[in-house]
This record gives sequence, C-alpha cells and structure tokens, in this order.
Amino acid sequence: MKVRINGLEVEAREGERILDVANRLGIRIPTLCYLKNVYEGASCRICVVELGNGKLIPACAYEVSDGLTISTDTPRIRESRRVTLELLLSAHRITCQNCPKKGECTLVELCSEYGVEGIPVCAECPLHGEDCFIARSEICLGPITASGCKAECIRDGRTCEGCRGPVTRRDVIEWARGIYIEHGISLEAVLEKLKTYCASSREFDLIREYLVVKEVVEG
Amino acid sequence: MSGKICSGNLIESLQRIQEKQGFLPRDSLIKLSRDTRSPLSRIFGVATFYHQFRLEPPGKVTIAVCMGTACHLRGNAENYEFLRRFLGIRPDRSTSDDGLFSLEKARCFGCCSLAPVVKIGDMLVGKATPRELQKAISRVRESILREEAARGAGGGKT
Amino acid sequence: MMRQEYWTLMDPCCDYCLHSRDNPCAKYVVCRMRGPFCHRSVECREKRQRRIREVLYGSQGVRINIGASSCGLAAGAERVLEAVKDGLRSMGVEAEVSAVGCLGLCFMEPFIEIQSEDGPSPIYGYVSPENVGDILARYFEEGSVDGAFAIRKRTGRFKDEDKVPLLDELDVWRKQVKWVSRNCGVINPESIEEYIVTGGYEGLSRALTMRPEEVIEEIRLAGLRGRGGAGFPTWLKWKICREQPSEEKYVICNADEGDPGAFMNRLLAESDPHRVLEGIIIAGYAIGASQGVIFVRAEKPLMAARLEKAVEDARRWGLLGENILGSGFSFDVRVMRSAGAFVCGEETAMIAAIEGRRAMPRQRPPYPASKGLWDKPTVVNNVETLAHVATIMAHGWREFAKYGTERSKGTKMFCVTGGVKRTGAFEVPIGTTIRTLVYDIAGGPHEGRRIKAVQIGGPSGGCLPERLFDLPIDYESLQEAGAIMGSGGLVVIDDTNCMVDVARYFTSFTLAESCGKCIPCRVGTKALYDRLSAIVEGMSSQEDLQLLEEIGIMMKEAALCALGGTAPNPILSSLRYFRDEYEAHILEKRCPAKVCRKLVSYAINRELCVKCGLCAKSCPVGAIAKTADGYFMIDESRCIRCGTCVITCPRGAVEKR
Ligand SMILES: Cc1cc2nc3c(=O)[nH]c(=O)nc-3n(C[C@H](O)[C@H](O)[C@H](O)COP(=O)(O)O)c2cc1C
Ligand code: SF4
Ligand code: SF4
Ligand code: SF4
Ligand code: SF4
Ligand code: FES
Ligand code: FES
Ligand code: FES
Repeated sequence: MKVRINGLEVEAREGERILDVANRLGIRIPTLCYLKNVYEGASCRICVVELGNGKLIPACAYEVSDGLTISTDTPRIRESRRVTLELLLSAHRITCQNCPKKGECTLVELCSEYGVEGIPVCAECPLHGEDCFIARSEICLGPITASGCKAECIRDGRTCEGCRGPVTRRDVIEWARGIYIEHGISLEAVLEKLKTYCASSREFDLIREYLVVKEVVEG
Repeated sequence: MSGKICSGNLIESLQRIQEKQGFLPRDSLIKLSRDTRSPLSRIFGVATFYHQFRLEPPGKVTIAVCMGTACHLRGNAENYEFLRRFLGIRPDRSTSDDGLFSLEKARCFGCCSLAPVVKIGDMLVGKATPRELQKAISRVRESILREEAARGAGGGKT
Repeated sequence: MMRQEYWTLMDPCCDYCLHSRDNPCAKYVVCRMRGPFCHRSVECREKRQRRIREVLYGSQGVRINIGASSCGLAAGAERVLEAVKDGLRSMGVEAEVSAVGCLGLCFMEPFIEIQSEDGPSPIYGYVSPENVGDILARYFEEGSVDGAFAIRKRTGRFKDEDKVPLLDELDVWRKQVKWVSRNCGVINPESIEEYIVTGGYEGLSRALTMRPEEVIEEIRLAGLRGRGGAGFPTWLKWKICREQPSEEKYVICNADEGDPGAFMNRLLAESDPHRVLEGIIIAGYAIGASQGVIFVRAEKPLMAARLEKAVEDARRWGLLGENILGSGFSFDVRVMRSAGAFVCGEETAMIAAIEGRRAMPRQRPPYPASKGLWDKPTVVNNVETLAHVATIMAHGWREFAKYGTERSKGTKMFCVTGGVKRTGAFEVPIGTTIRTLVYDIAGGPHEGRRIKAVQIGGPSGGCLPERLFDLPIDYESLQEAGAIMGSGGLVVIDDTNCMVDVARYFTSFTLAESCGKCIPCRVGTKALYDRLSAIVEGMSSQEDLQLLEEIGIMMKEAALCALGGTAPNPILSSLRYFRDEYEAHILEKRCPAKVCRKLVSYAINRELCVKCGLCAKSCPVGAIAKTADGYFMIDESRCIRCGTCVITCPRGAVEKR
C-alpha cells in the first residue's frame, strides 16, 4: 500500500498508523498523550495532521489506507496546535518548580516552538517554598515574566527584573496576583518594578488591569 | 450472548443498588467490587461519570429543576436561584439543612411545552413561577411534617 | 390490560388454528387481519373482523382516547381519565376509555378524542377534570360537538359540526405529513393488537420474505438518511455492516435523546413503540444480527417502560425470539436504561456504556459498522430512522420517496418550543421552510412579540435569523447556513431572549456534558464559557470575540467527537448573524434584550406602584427605601440585581431598564 506524506510517496503496511509511518521516515509529529500500547486514546490532539480531503485527524490513532495523502505541517495544523497548547496551558497549574521535569518537558518545548508564551520564569526557577524570594518578601518578577532564560538572575542570587518581558496571559497573572497577595507583597511595588523593562504601555496597562482591578467572583 | 450484555453490566448493577438504597453507599460499592472482581477505582469511575448516580443520601423529597433549552428561555434559571434561597441550601450542598429537600438540576423531561418545568418528588409543576413553587413546596413540607408527627405519635419507637 | 382476559386478535381463533411460538407461520400477521388462512371457517373470520372493529371503536362502538404520554400525564391526563370514567358512569353511557399516545399538539394538552365508526371524531384540547363532564354531556346528551378543537370528518349527524373546523383544514395539521407518526395519539401504545390492526408488523412480514440484500436495496431506493443528526445514508451503513465477515453482529437503537428541547423520539417511542421495535427487527435481519439493544435515556422512564412492554408482547407472540414467523431468522432485543450523560448519544460512547464503562467516545474510524459492541460489527440507528424503516417496508419505498427533496427523502419530525403560540412535535416533509414550520404550523410569535431567530439542532446546532426563514430544512442547506438538522429540536427565540445568553446557555450545557477525554472540548468549552460569561457580565473587550472564533474553529477541527466538534456552533452562528448583540454587550455594556443581569438595572415605575413596600421587605441587601412622597426607590449602587423585588411586587411595578 502506498501513501503520500508531505509530497513523499512511501510504502506503508496495513494497520500502520500515520505516526508510525512518519516516524519511520524521520518526519517529526509532536505527541503528548500517546504512549504506545499504554495509552492510545488520542486525547491531546496535538498530533493532528491534514488529510487530502482537508480534514484534521490525529496521527497517533489514524490507520493509513491506500492512496492516503497526508501533510504534517501546514499553517492550519500549526494554528490548531497553537490553540490546543494555549488551552492546555490555561488549565495547567504552573508548578514546574515542583515538577520532577523542572520545566524541561515536551509541553514547555512545544510551547516555545509554537510561540505560546505563558510559562513564567518561576517554572525554571530552582528556588521553591521557603527559599523563594517572594516568600522572603522580596519583589521578584518571576511569576509575571516570560520564561526562557532558565532563571539566570535567580541562580545568581538576584530577583527577576523582568527583562524578558511580561507574560500577558490573564490566568497566569491571576495566579501571580494570588502569590503576591498571599505573601503580602504590594502590587503597586510590583508594577513599579515592572516599568523597568516593560516595553509597551499597552502590555503594562493590561497587566495593571489584571493585577489590580478586582475580578468579579463567579456565580 | 444476551447474557453477556445483561450480567456483566456495571451500570445496571449500580442502578439496582441505587434503586434499593436511594444512593450508592460506599460499603455497597466495595461489596460490588469484591463480588464482580473489578477494581473499586473502575466502579467509582463509572459511578461518578453518570448524572443519575448519587454518592450522598438524598433528602426526603427531591426537587429537580429542568435546565433544558425551553425551560431556560422561559426562566428556570431564576426559579433555581429562588429555590436555593427559599430552601436555604448552602452553596456547597445539595440538601437543605433539615434534610427534607434536595435540589438538583435536570436535563429536559421532554415536557418542554409546559416550560418552565420543576419536578417536586414525582409531581411535575408546569409553567412554574417562584410564587407557585413556594406554595407547592409549603404544601409538601406540611404533609411530610404531618406524616412524621403522626408516625411519631402513633409509633412510639422509631 | 384488562383485555388479556378476553380473546384477543393475537390468540388462536379456535382449536384448528395452528400458529404458535413453536410452530410459527409466515403469514401470522396478515392472517390476523384477513385470515384465517390455515383453516377455512366463516365463523372464525367473522370473529376476527368483529374483534378488529372492537379494537378500533370499542365494544360499544364508541371509544374515548386520552393522550397519556409523559407530556400528557404531566399536564394532568391521569385525572382527566378518571374524570371521563366518572362522567360516563354518571350519564350511564358505555364507552371504551383508552389511554393513547400523543398527537404532538402539546400546546393544548391534555386532549381527548371521541371516536366512533360513523361519528365526526371531535378532538378537545385543554381538557381538565372540571370541564370534561360538560364535554361528554354535550356530545352524548345533546349530540353536539361544540367546543371541540377540531373534528376529523363532517358527518352531518351532530349539531354544531359546522362551527368546528376540520382537522385537515387547520394549518397546524394540513401542512404536516403524518407518515411515521401516523399512529401517535391514535392507538393505545401498550396494545400490540391495536398496532397490528393498523397494519403493524406487515413490514416485517414482507421483509422476511425478501433476501436481506433486497431489504437493503429497498431502503436505498427510499433514500432514507439517518434521523439522529448526521444524515448518513441508512442503507450504506447496513451494507457495510452486512459485508463484515463476523458471526456476531448487533443492532443498537439510539433512544438516548439528549438534546434539551427535543422530544420527538420520546413521543414516537411512547406512542407507537412497536413501530420502533419492528424497525429494529428489520435492521437485524438486513445486517444479519441476532441481538438488538435499545438504549434509553434515563430521564425518560415511560419511554423505556413502553418499549419494554412492546418487546415482551412481541416475544410472546413470536415476533421476536427464535425462528421469527417461520423464516429461520432469530433475533432478540433488550432495553437498557442509560444512567444519564448526554455524550451517551454519541455512538461509540453509547457502546462503551452498554459494555458497562464510562461513556467516553473513541476515535473513529474504525466505525461501529466494522468494530462496534464487543468489537463486533454494529449498526447504531436513531429511533425515528428505525420507525421509518418499518413504515417503508410496509408501504413501499415509492410512498416514502414521494416526500422530501432531491437529496433528502421523506419526512422528519420536529419539536418546536420556545416563543411560539403552538408548541409541539410536528412531522413535515424534508425541505419544508422554517417559516412554514414556525409561522403556519406553530402559529408564529406570542401576542406583541417578535421572533428573532430559531436555534436548530440544540447545543450542537446553530441559530438562524428571521431573514433566513425561507430556507428549506434539509441537511445540506442548514449546514451551509451554520446550523445542523440534529435530531430535530427547534427552539424559537423571540425578542425577550438575548442571543449571547442563549449561546452561553448552550455552552454551559456542553461544558457540563463534555466527557473530558480530549483537550479541545474539555478545556475549550470552559474557555468559551468563561469568555461568554465575561461578556454577559460586562467584563470583556473586543478581543474576546476574536478569541471565541479562534477557539471555536480549532475545536470544530480537532475535537475527538462531534460533541466537542459541534459545541462552538451556537457561538459561531450567533456571531455570524447577531454580532451587533455581542458588540452591544462589550462596547456599550448593554444587553438589548434586558436579560443579562449584570447589564440591566431595576427601577420602580411610579405609575404602577401602590406603595405596599413589599419590595423593600424582600430585598436581601436593603437597597429599596421609602422616599419622602411615600413611593419606593431603588438605590442602584447597593442593588445586587438579584431580581427578588420583581418577583415580589404584586403589581409588576419593578421594571428592568
Ligand atoms: C454528543 C452527541 C449526541 C448525540 N445524541 C444523539 C441522540 O440523542 N439520538 C440519536 O439518535 N443520535 C444521537 N447522536 C448521533 C449518533 O452518534 C449517531 O450518529 C446516530 O445514532 C446514528 O443514527 P442514524 O444514522 O439513524 O441517524 C449524537 C451524537 C453526538 C456526537
Ligand atoms: S518568584 Fe522569583 S524566586 Fe520565587 S519562584 Fe518565582 S522566579 Fe523564583
Ligand atoms: S531578570 Fe531577566 S534574565 Fe533575570 S530571571 Fe528575570 S527574565 Fe530571567
Ligand atoms: S469532544 Fe468532548 S465529549 Fe467528545 S471525546 Fe472530546 S472531551 Fe469527550
Ligand atoms: S434586584 Fe435585588 S438587590 Fe436589587 S433592589 Fe431588587 S431585591 Fe434589591
Ligand atoms: S498524541 Fe495525543 S492525540 Fe495523538
Ligand atoms: S426543556 Fe424543560 S422539559 Fe424540556
Ligand atoms: S403533548 Fe405530547 S409530546 Fe407534547
């Protein structure tokens, strides 16, 4: 049986999944939930690929059939994966410091690959619990700053100054707000510090709004 | 083959337990797990998935407010809020403090033309308004209390 | 119930009658009506004909039907039934009193119909125990049909016949085609005899004389498409399943009608359960299955009970079980009650539920037709689809294909609820326009209201604005317009409803019903709901609209099953047609329909206020105070917009602004 994958015509076996065929060819399709023979429920939908008929289907669960045309990287696919990651992150408690993977996981990698920002410096920070600057009443911008620096400053013993720019996701900021309030840090002071590196006043306003304006409690 | 569909069906076993006891007591689930030799986690998984199953004992009378489309458009969300307040049910509970009423949301009873619909025990109240619900519930409450009083007076020990 | 003590049409007529479960004969069903065939006897023939008349019109020649399906019972049919019996007793009139199903005229429940062989058959609506005595007295003592909603024929034998419209001339009836619902509200659903007398099980008898391939061919010619939502050609599903090499196959009847606001499956199965059962048996024969399951929604217990009774009766008379009607085909059916979860309606989830697991869908393909229940080939069909099958087999594909459009044949039942005068379940040919259904049949808006849109297909469907009401209802044109046919729920939205609130309502439904297996749906519905909540609470910005679209489109493409895949439809369609309402909420912080609580304010209309002060007493935050001139006034800054005062005010003086 022959299938065409990214324009390449290849031989495939009956019952093979798209993911298997792609892996064999060295074409990378990201996966999160798939674990061969353990979990094949196709839940995360990160592995979506596009068929010739324009449908998006999960590569980890779809069995090839003769003449199938598959694309593994199109703008539509990237967009779908990006939104999936956004959603995934919005429901993800950012406790990377307590996670054995220490922020070096497929999720974080994919997020940076697909331009999904939303993981704060805290995720990469080696300090936790009592050691955290905030717990010591110092103003650290880690919780509202985009990750990627491996929390260099903190490793050097300084608080985060927010040089990488703020995370603008509302849920992250709300989480951060909780942390600041819990430790009695003045939000005004945080905003003051944020001014140093916050490039655009729009971003600043957004954060101020999320951080200071009281959310109406639901229901 | 039909036996396969009948006997092994966990959902139907749970339905039978609930029918007898009014809810799914933990002990019964543990027993079921032993009898059917399936893990308790699986049984809890099923019991918590479906709306029908209850893990807490219900009040004497269950009030179900239809949250179907027609009933929503005709104002059952307000009726629900009203009932919560009227019965004094606390935010994290579904049963009133006196244990008489439990309040739940239901999906369409299929009587949408009578919307909004509220079911008090077995009685369907169509075109429900807070005022009517108030009356109906007071009536039900009185009759329960009267019954209880009668039993208390006549029965001696209970 | 009582009738079992007498001789029924289903029993052997005399000792010569040979048919029994151990000795089934192919003509058993037809033999009831036109027989006996196995022995020659004028007496037996007359005995049967007499019985047929008795079934149709009662032993006294008069029969009073009372609609007693769930809806009728909720409207008080049981008390009406008792009152009818009392009324007849006190007048000394002997008539058969029969609980029938539902005519679909929900707006006038409970109804009764007085039938006799040569009478006008008047139908009365809004019957109550109080007025039923009058109705009976007028009919039986004065010979008048005055006060009836409609009569079926003009006989000239009753007074006032010309005052009452003919049923067939009324808009609500004339534009319907009673094809699959022909028996609903006419026969007693608990009596297999009545079904047989109206031509029941003849379709099965005919199918069993054909080869399975021929049955599939007949359904193909009819052009029947699934009535459960997706509109997949029924014959094709059957053919694929038939061609699977497995020994064991199953038929599942999807009676898990979960769309809130749709009840045609319930109506059909409660009013004419044998028709559904007959369809299942035919489907089983066509694909070569030996076992069927009817999966019934938990909230609809009467439907389950009636189907169970039908199964039992059919089994008792050899229409189910070993060697059905001597054809060598064996088939059995059981009814299973769901434990309640909307997602059970999805076929792979339903299979999981029948297997006793959590009802979580799985990726298709493989489709159930090749890998279904216990991994065996399985056909899943909707209640109405199967009832159509039975009707098509009895009347032939040509009769069915007369109705409908080029690509979708036949009729479909729709439930019209919400802001119309006549709510109910109506059967119309596919391709009928929305306008006909909403205005002609359902009677248009309530006095002083304006219809804004309809929502077709429940939480998976979309809304269509008034200006598109000339669209024919069929699978393709609805899909193009952003809605779906779904199971046939049609909710009429008038100017008292807010489109954003409606979209939020449907999203709260899918959010609660998402099985949680896949990310697009589990997190997506939550994200959509949060954004919509922000909009109705006036806490949103224009970016939220973009976000709604972005997430919606992604869910449509990437969700695992159609629950998540269709969940954004109500939002995307209302964004398409009612963007202005969203913008009013976002930009002006105003709800045009005055529904969204956070965006309205309350005020007391001094012209209506009688200064009773009840509102002030009821307000939980003490926002209402007496002014110097004795009137009451609401302090807006303290008001929490709970609405209590509106409910409390006896004069309706508290108004939303
Ligand atoms: C979330 C969801 C709910 C559904 N609910 C129903 C339902 O209530 N009744 C029904 O017949 N089909 C329902 N379906 C469609 C079924 O999966 C299936 O397509 C249908 O039963 C096939 O029957 P048909 O070919 O006769 O239409 C639902 C599908 C989904 C995704
Ligand atoms: S607040 Fe600062 S010190 Fe604390 S965990 Fe975050 S980055 Fe590290
Ligand atoms: S100041 Fe810059 S480099 Fe230092 S921790 Fe913060 S983001 Fe990283
Ligand atoms: S789309 Fe929703 S209901 Fe369907 S599998 Fe995903 S989470 Fe479950
Ligand atoms: S809406 Fe509620 S809070 Fe506002 S005035 Fe009325 S009763 Fe008081
Ligand atoms: S890897 Fe999760 S759906 Fe394919
Ligand atoms: S929507 Fe409430 S009964 Fe149907
Ligand atoms: S009156 Fe029977 S379904 Fe409505």
